[in-house]
Amino acid sequence: MARNWQPDFERLVDEHQSMVFSLAWRMTADRGLAEEIAQDVFLELDTHMTRIESPQHALFWLRRVAMSRSADALRRRRVRGVDLWIEIEESHGAPQEERFSPLGARLEQLLTTLPEPQRAALVLRYQEDLTPEEIAATLESPLATVKSNLQRGLKLLRAKAECNLKDYVRPGKSLGGARADG
Amino acid sequence: MDELKPINEPEPIDRMNEFESQLQQAFVRRPAPPGLKRRILDQRNRRLTARFHSRIVLWQRLAACFVLAAALGGGLTWRHVEEQRKGEAARVQVITALRITNHALNEVKARLAVRDE
Repeated sequence: MARNWQPDFERLVDEHQSMVFSLAWRMTADRGLAEEIAQDVFLELDTHMTRIESPQHALFWLRRVAMSRSADALRRRRVRGVDLWIEIEESHGAPQEERFSPLGARLEQLLTTLPEPQRAALVLRYQEDLTPEEIAATLESPLATVKSNLQRGLKLLRAKAECNLKDYVRPGKSLGGARADG
Repeated sequence: MDELKPINEPEPIDRMNEFESQLQQAFVRRPAPPGLKRRILDQRNRRLTARFHSRIVLWQRLAACFVLAAALGGGLTWRHVEEQRKGEAARVQVITALRITNHALNEVKARLAVRDE
């Protein structure tokens, strides 16, 4: 490990702001909330800078805290009884040029309808390209649970996509071959 | 974990792989909002400034406490010394008065002795 590595806060923000923001946004489906979470995560990083040992450690730490803060935010909103799933179509003030492909936007919209653990596993799997083992370490969950969440989440998302995105996704009879083993 | 086992039908696997690749394309990282970094750095600076100010306030309070304690201690010490000084002066006065009385009594005694002779 890079023992002589000196963390540079600004550089870490530059490198990882997109990752942290995207994780928070896909977890909460709320752009404003995602920005708040991203700010909180980086400010927390600032107070933990002395404990960060390497760039990999920083990346792992940021992913873990971003997911944890997003889950906290979702819990708080549930407690307050706010209907979380505000239409992502509105993009909450996102400029039009930021909008991705229509299929991407629709898949993201469908993702927000999945249960939180499945959503978390899928986001880490397909956004961050993590293996189930890495996802388990990031979410501090058992590996079997993560694999199960990946399987079920993928199956559910696929089923929803088949119903809602007929123009984009070819319907299939079975979903048994889901790649959840990394 | 039966679902993890690959099945023999190739078509659904291909479809799932296709779906997964669609997911991977759909879930690319979104660019952070333009002002996010600036806001983070601003907030960090505000926090640092606030921490610096709170540290200054803490030191000011500590200094004020120290001055107050020193003044209180000085006052108490001064009062103690002053009481001691006054006590000593009173003792000296009493001794002087006793000496004068003693002297006067001795004189009276001497006069009486002269008269008795």
